[in-house]
Amino acid sequence: MSQTFLDSNELVLNMGPQHPSTHGVLRVILKLDGERVNGTECVIGYLHRGVEKIAENRTYQMFAPYVDRMDYVAAVSNGLGYVLAVERLISVEATPRAQAVRVILTELNRIASHLLWLGTHALDIGAITPLFYTLREREEVLKIFENYCGARLTTHAFRIGGLQYELYDGFEREVNAFCDWFIPKVDEYEELLTNNRIWRERLTGVGILNAADCKRYGVTGPVLRAAGVAWDLRKAQPYCGYQNYEFDIPTGSNADTFDRYVVRMEEMRQSVRIIRQAVGAIPAGPIMAKVSKVLKPPVGEAYVSIEAPKGELGYYIVSDGTLNPYRVRVRPPSLINLQALDQMVRGALVADVVAIIGTLDIVLGEIDR
Amino acid sequence: MAAEPWEDELTRALAQQFDNRIERFATYVGQNFLAADCAAVYDIVEALRDKWQFDYLVDLTAVDFPNRPKRFEVVYILYSYARNERIRLKCAVAEGERPRSVVALHATADWLEREVYDMFGIEFARHPDLRRLLLPEDWQGFPLRRDTNILAMDNQWVRENLGIESGQ
Amino acid sequence: MIALLKKVLLVDLLRGLWVTFRNQHPKHLYTEQYPLERPKVAERFRGAPRLNTNPDNGETLCISCDLCAKACPENLIVVTSVRNEQTKRKDLTTFTYDTSRCMFCGLCEDACPVDALELTQDFELASYTREGLIWDRQMLEEGPKPTRYTR
Repeated sequence: MSQTFLDSNELVLNMGPQHPSTHGVLRVILKLDGERVNGTECVIGYLHRGVEKIAENRTYQMFAPYVDRMDYVAAVSNGLGYVLAVERLISVEATPRAQAVRVILTELNRIASHLLWLGTHALDIGAITPLFYTLREREEVLKIFENYCGARLTTHAFRIGGLQYELYDGFEREVNAFCDWFIPKVDEYEELLTNNRIWRERLTGVGILNAADCKRYGVTGPVLRAAGVAWDLRKAQPYCGYQNYEFDIPTGSNADTFDRYVVRMEEMRQSVRIIRQAVGAIPAGPIMAKVSKVLKPPVGEAYVSIEAPKGELGYYIVSDGTLNPYRVRVRPPSLINLQALDQMVRGALVADVVAIIGTLDIVLGEIDR
Repeated sequence: MAAEPWEDELTRALAQQFDNRIERFATYVGQNFLAADCAAVYDIVEALRDKWQFDYLVDLTAVDFPNRPKRFEVVYILYSYARNERIRLKCAVAEGERPRSVVALHATADWLEREVYDMFGIEFARHPDLRRLLLPEDWQGFPLRRDTNILAMDNQWVRENLGIESGQ
Repeated sequence: MIALLKKVLLVDLLRGLWVTFRNQHPKHLYTEQYPLERPKVAERFRGAPRLNTNPDNGETLCISCDLCAKACPENLIVVTSVRNEQTKRKDLTTFTYDTSRCMFCGLCEDACPVDALELTQDFELASYTREGLIWDRQMLEEGPKPTRYTR
């Protein structure tokens, strides 16, 4: 007798797109055998705004605010990647002062992004308290952004060739005060979570993605580093003067969700270390390199990528010598990291799916663009 | 500033192996790329992965040049962890031509090829599951082709759904 | 043995709870009681647009150069002007700014050569109608008038 669907024990469960633990409008179709996950299918595109098409109809300067809206919790990193790519096309390098400020702001943004990840990830697992604390600390970062460039989330802080805004009085003091205040807070999160028995039980050994699989799926960022690969674009191919700062690349060894948590916590500490070095030595000088207002890069193309909080964020820009980019392709880390979800959740429990989506640290604005 | 020729150990070995199927090796703004025949791309990606440790497919995308005889250019960006080197592989693809999918070599290519199909309508042969990725399944047309005009799309939508002329 | 005792006595739980209680003190309050207490926004805050006037005679500073409209990525500024035969300059007639499409990127104020157009610290832009979000010259010069609440 042929097998019909009634004979199958497989249950198909729709998770999302309105599920709070999918961190946005991700829809995951889970194929379940009891509590075990046999397979998944991701349905994405609910937040597709056609950013790459918009770019074809804007000038290079006009497109810069749009990139902030992809990974909206790390808007500064998005902006940095874009301006670096355009600067590569026109063979201009930002002034030393601009570079130092860019490093400070992107590292602050990395902290803000990781804080939001930590709070929501803990919330998914069932620990409500960390969310309030992480959002409080994130607020301080956002205040620095607001004071610097006038916007908290979609900052549009950088311009092609440098910066638009000069530092305000007390910027260094505020950033230093934040660093001093923040490090004990990280210890506090660790007190709440690291040795918490529920936290450990829920995360250890869950969602393992070893180094070989990471490379096969092109997974980058903290997920790759938790698998023991000490690869960080800031070290491997330094940009924006990262070679001048001392910092370590934290790595894990078990490639599981707990290790990714440990790696991200350590990354925040390393970011503070970079910020302290950068703030102590902001060079004087102009903040804007000589860039024509009417920007027409020569015909050609360039791919520039940076280490965003979520992984390798790349921009592939093709210029045809006119005012508008001919094609802007964004290589979003979240999209490519999400592809490994299927591999990670196979054989896991339904409750672990939430933990694994959380540990990938995805932002749907970036996946769908 | 034009692209300069690129020559090193890697290009010599590749040129020897693939002969005239690789059209050019070049460098532009410090970034190396090679242009190859569409039919040879799968073999080149395989050779790069197995012999030259380019084990990470960073990105796979396409660019549309409607005026060229082969209108699409599919771009593979490859990175080698061991060599810390990034190269681009480009191939021209005509409308209706089906380049071979590289999913078997790099699992990353699965969604990326679906996205290219979604946005440009380039079909990849032997792709396990070639469907639209971001757009709804009943979407008409391929938006990232240069001849798709978003303003005209907007006007059409306003006319059909609101019954007025769009003021844009 | 010590590990077992720690487990039985819930040491990890108590440590976590201690952190929670440390943060209970009212001086750690972070919530802003908006709208009763208005938040203090930054000096450079990019909020409601304003068309500046000369404080002495109330004349607009705008020279109708149209640079803001050209710089705007969303194309939401429309400037019209007539040529003044006496002064040989352009006089501003209308200035329309569609805040419903604005993303407050600040490119228009960067483009303005005379600091006439400016994004201000006002952030309460809500309106009951879509048309109310399209600001004309008068609205831009006067700014929004939100209801003020006090304790």
